Order: sequence, then C-alpha cells, then structure tokens
Amino acid sequence: MIFIAILLGCLIGALIGINMPIISYTYSGYLAIAIIAALDSVFGGISSTLNKNFDLKVFVSGFFGNAILSILLTYLGQKLNVDIYLAAIVVFVGRMFNNLAIIRRYYLNKWTIDRQKNIKNNKKVQQKDIK
Amino acid sequence: MKKFKIRGDITVVTVVIFIVCIVLVSVMFMQFRTIEQTEITQIETMRESELRTALSEWKTKYEELEKQLEEIDDKINEYNETIENNEETAKLIDEELKESNILVGKTDVEGEGVIITLNNNSKNVKAYDLIDLVNELRYAGAEAISINNTRVLAMTDIIDMANDTYIMVNLERLEGAPYVIKAIGNKEYISSILSLKGSGFIDRATTNGLTASLEVKNKIEIPKYNGEIKIEYMKELVKE
Repeated sequence: MIFIAILLGCLIGALIGINMPIISYTYSGYLAIAIIAALDSVFGGISSTLNKNFDLKVFVSGFFGNAILSILLTYLGQKLNVDIYLAAIVVFVGRMFNNLAIIRRYYLNKWTIDRQKNIKNNKKVQQKDIK
Repeated sequence: MKKFKIRGDITVVTVVIFIVCIVLVSVMFMQFRTIEQTEITQIETMRESELRTALSEWKTKYEELEKQLEEIDDKINEYNETIENNEETAKLIDEELKESNILVGKTDVEGEGVIITLNNNSKNVKAYDLIDLVNELRYAGAEAISINNTRVLAMTDIIDMANDTYIMVNLERLEGAPYVIKAIGNKEYISSILSLKGSGFIDRATTNGLTASLEVKNKIEIPKYNGEIKIEYMKELVKE
C-alpha cells in the first residue's frame, strides 16, 4: 500500500511539475538546495525504517523544516556574500551518503544471511538425499 | 511490507508519504525544466569566473566606447564652433555690406546735418558754385549730400548744360533755382566751416552775387541714388 502511494505520488508530482510555470534562474538555486534537503530527509526516512525507528513526525518535520531552513540559510548567505549553500550541500549530501551506506549494509547483510541459510539448507537436503 | 515495522496509523503514514512524494517530485521536475530552459540561454549556465571575465571585457569595451564618444563629442563641438564663427563672419560681412551700401548711396539715409538753399540774385547759380559747395561740404566731413533730392555720389557729374540754362546732376536735369543742398554730417562743424568769415562758402556766395542761407537740423532725410551703378571697365587689381 505504501509503495502504491509512493508510485502514485511520484506520477502525480511529475505531472504537476511538468505543467508548472518555469521559475527564474536566480530562484532555482534555492529550489535546488530545498530538493537536496528533502532528498536527505527521504533517505534518512528509508534508513530509519530499515532500523525500525521510523517516526512520521520526525520525518515530516525534517522534510519540510530542512527544506525551508536551507532556503533561508542560502538567502542569508547571499545577503552576507558567503556561500552558505555550500555548507548545506556538504552536510546534506554527506548524510545522504551515510544513509545510503546504512541501506546498502542492511541489504548486504540480509543477502549474505539468506545465502548462508540457503547453503545450509542445501547441505541438509543433500545429506538427506545421500542418506 | 510488514517486515518494516512502522509506528503509528498505516493510513496516515501512507497519506503523508503520498503528499511528500508529490511535493518532492513536482519540485524536482520544476527544477529540471528550469535548468533545461536556461541552458538554452548560455549566459546563465556559464561559470561565475567566466561571467566575471566576460563582464570585465564588456567593461573595457564600454570604457573604450565612452572615450570614443567623448572624442566625437569634442569634434562635434568644434564643428559647431566653426559654424558659429562662420555665422559671425557672415553677420560681419552683412554689416559691411550694409555700411558700404550706405556709403555708396544705395540706401535712404537720415541724420543730423545742414540744409543750404542757393538762389539767384544778381547772378545765376552755376554748376561751378554747386561743385564748390559739394567740395566744401566733403571737406567738412559730410557723409551724404543731395542736390534737390538727387543724391551726390562719388562719380556724380555736375555740369552746366545748354549755354548755362540749366544744370545737370547725375545726367538728370535739375529744376531751376532755388537749389536745396542737404548734407548729413557733424552739423556744428559743417555750419562753422561754411560760415567762416571771408573764406566760408556762404560769404563767398554772397560776394559772388548769390543768396545762400544755412539751416542746421537735427534730422535730415536724404534719398538713395535711383540709377544703377555700373562697373564696366575697371576690376580689382590683384597684387601677386
């Protein structure tokens, strides 16, 4: 059911995004930072789901809060003539890699455990056959 | 799906994730389209350093053009000045022309001066008397002279005609006496010269048997010369 929701959401979102008017280039920098923040929250949510400590409130607040905060920080940086968006990108992308590593390890672990189980089962079957 | 244990109501989670997906993907697509669109206009996809160099190039070009503009402005100013000078010279030439016209006698003139009336008494007025008077007036600095409203010019002839029965001035027959001679000039100077005792024209005329009266006026009008001034034989001598 959640997967169907994700698929449908992606489809509808794509349709909306294609039909939306084009924003000017100066504001697309803010939007990019917001997207990076949101993606970070999504990967964080996936890894927390795998770790079985997913919290909807944390996820939603992180999704929107990080996006808005990063936009505000980027704006502030532009006013101060400091590239704060670089720091935001470093932090968010670094966390994304962390979360991706967690996800990768989880599935690697699962895969190796499954294979070991399979090998054991096969051996048992073979032993039975031999007997 | 059940292997992911999620806290909270499953439907709420589903709806929230649905909304989140919509928001995220729509914003992402917006961004994609923006970036695609802006790649068409290459300026905005250029790196900042490239933009800086381009900007500095444009600035130098702008400065050069500004210099050129200044130079051209200066030139235009010079041209304008020369045009003004030409206008001034044209004005000067115009004034000179007016002056020479006045001097030559092609215009009606007015000014202070004297009026002399000559009349026959024991003798008739001869051309010689008129020439004498004109000479004396010229000596006294008269600028314009007329005899019976005929302008006396540089080449004016004053001659007796037909056995002294009449006088011709400018090849025109004058009415008989009295002859009215008008002269514009310094009225006091002219009148004092004409009325010198003994050697003045008035005295000489009376001793020659004529009546001459002198009248000093603040405003005398003298008409212009009506004929044409022809130059047929002489031309300007150009010294090499």
